[in-house]
Amino acid sequence: MTSITADPTRTDESRSSGLDWGLIGRQIAGILRLELRRNLFSRRSFALYFLAFAPVGLFLIWAISPATSYFADPAQAVAQVFAPVFVGYLRTVIFLSALITFMSLYRSEILERSLHYYYLTPVRRWVLVVGKYCSALISSCAVFAVGTSMLFLLTCIPWGVGDASRYLFQGPGLGNLIGYVGIAMMGCLGYGAVFLLVGLFFRNAIIPAAFIWAWEWANFALPGVLKKISVVHYLRALYPIPLPENIAENFIAVASDPTSPWVSVPGLVIFTALVLAFAGWRAGQMEVNYEGD
Amino acid sequence: MTQPLATPENNSVENDSIIFDNVSKFYGEVLGVNRITLRFQPGITGLVGPNGSGKTTLMNLMAGLLRPTQGSIRVLGVSPDTPHKLFANVGYSTQFDSFPGGMSGYQFIYSYLRVHGFNHANAHDLTWQALERVTLTDAASRNVAGYSKGMRQRVRLAQAISHRPRVLILDEPLNGLDPMARAEVIDIFKDLADTGCHLIISSHILHEVDMIADRVVLLSSGYVVAEGEIGGVRTEMDDHPIQVLIRCTKASTVAARLFEQEHVVEASLHDDRQGLEVRTRDAKRFYASLNEIVLAEEIDIDTVTVADADVRAVYQYLIGQEGEAR
Repeated sequence: MTSITADPTRTDESRSSGLDWGLIGRQIAGILRLELRRNLFSRRSFALYFLAFAPVGLFLIWAISPATSYFADPAQAVAQVFAPVFVGYLRTVIFLSALITFMSLYRSEILERSLHYYYLTPVRRWVLVVGKYCSALISSCAVFAVGTSMLFLLTCIPWGVGDASRYLFQGPGLGNLIGYVGIAMMGCLGYGAVFLLVGLFFRNAIIPAAFIWAWEWANFALPGVLKKISVVHYLRALYPIPLPENIAENFIAVASDPTSPWVSVPGLVIFTALVLAFAGWRAGQMEVNYEGD
Repeated sequence: MTQPLATPENNSVENDSIIFDNVSKFYGEVLGVNRITLRFQPGITGLVGPNGSGKTTLMNLMAGLLRPTQGSIRVLGVSPDTPHKLFANVGYSTQFDSFPGGMSGYQFIYSYLRVHGFNHANAHDLTWQALERVTLTDAASRNVAGYSKGMRQRVRLAQAISHRPRVLILDEPLNGLDPMARAEVIDIFKDLADTGCHLIISSHILHEVDMIADRVVLLSSGYVVAEGEIGGVRTEMDDHPIQVLIRCTKASTVAARLFEQEHVVEASLHDDRQGLEVRTRDAKRFYASLNEIVLAEEIDIDTVTVADADVRAVYQYLIGQEGEAR
């Protein structure tokens, strides 16, 4: 065999007892290279783009329709139109995208029979889980940050660039926009963790996904204790603009202590970290056999 | 034939061997392999057996893709449960003819080298060297999905050897290769074995296993039927007399003298009376007797060939016709 110089930047972990964080970082970067390509530039990504940008098409039609004349200014339109629509966007579109993207991380590779290529590399299983999760999170966050921003801006634009700019840069618009983009990203984080876990346990996602979806939508009607076992409960506390009073949730909602953003954001991050730790352990126990898949 | 397992006092042996210690694998109630105790040494070991005999299960256990139901496995002193240590030294070309979508041959190998942790320059160099090794450089930029079966087989081999492993596990690596590519790939195997690598190769093509393997492990229905150097395996099969072909002068005299020996069970002359076929239960005593006869009768020997000491014969004797011996 022709001679190959050993990579001076690659250390042999078997020689040392501790973790080589430099090596782990390079391995995660290697996983991101492969996975971002799959998530953003493969057939699988069409579903993500469709879900994220189909509502943008609908908002474009709304923006050029006479319906905008019912609202006095961008602030009112954002409060009366964008804010309630965003609830549906979060609970349906982001939910379904997370279902497709995060569940596919393992399931699609098992179906394609290509997961073993990862399992035949000197990568700890939890590192693989973290790498795959981060790739899906980056893809989803990027797409939904753009999608949410486009929805928000299309809501403002019928009043002209001048009014829209004043609302955005001299009023609360930009802060609200950043808030909603942040919620969309937190939604990707939370739902992503849930569906990564579901993907490691269930071959067929339809039943668990339908249950989780129903649970999330019915959250407002649940008793206070059960309310807290959901992603949407923690995200609701982050809405920059309260939902209009005519939204059904506000009629039926069972009183519960509102969760402070200072609790809900770290809470979701901790929940995600716990799920990743469990998923890493689960991936370590997994056999790659492909039989019956 | 099973060699004693490494003990804690004998770490250097353990660190240079692949050891299966009483390993069983069940898929639910279905037996994969049962009570396998083996030690693989450097060189080429052929895994031979019919479909469903447990060859792939054994390889997947070695690579940690499957976990044993009982028993333990050590690959160069490392447990397959620790992939971050194992795969720095192990490459595996599986039987799965599937690839991540939308990648060229170069991207396929390069991308997984980056997952190993190699930086760009080294991953690039290693990728080209692996592609050169399997003569796929011309097709490096083509999508793997458009490769022929033989090219896909070679790019999988290139991926398995790209990080210079000390242990190479190859599941049916010669399938789909044309004769020229097959010869090239066999040369690669021999070169790697010469450098002290372990090569574990499963194959249905018995004459090729016979040609390239230093040792064989014969599997049937999840059990190891025989293992070791093929000649040694054959010699220990007392219930199947060894067939020896002799081309010589005075063949009838040789046949008559040999037939007097108690260990010779059959001796038949060739039609041209320039040779004979002998079946003996004791190869050592047979060769000693033959030497005596040759000297005493002043016989000129042209060739002496053992006719059934290859993998194919051993396979047929031990496993029978149920497999796909070719």
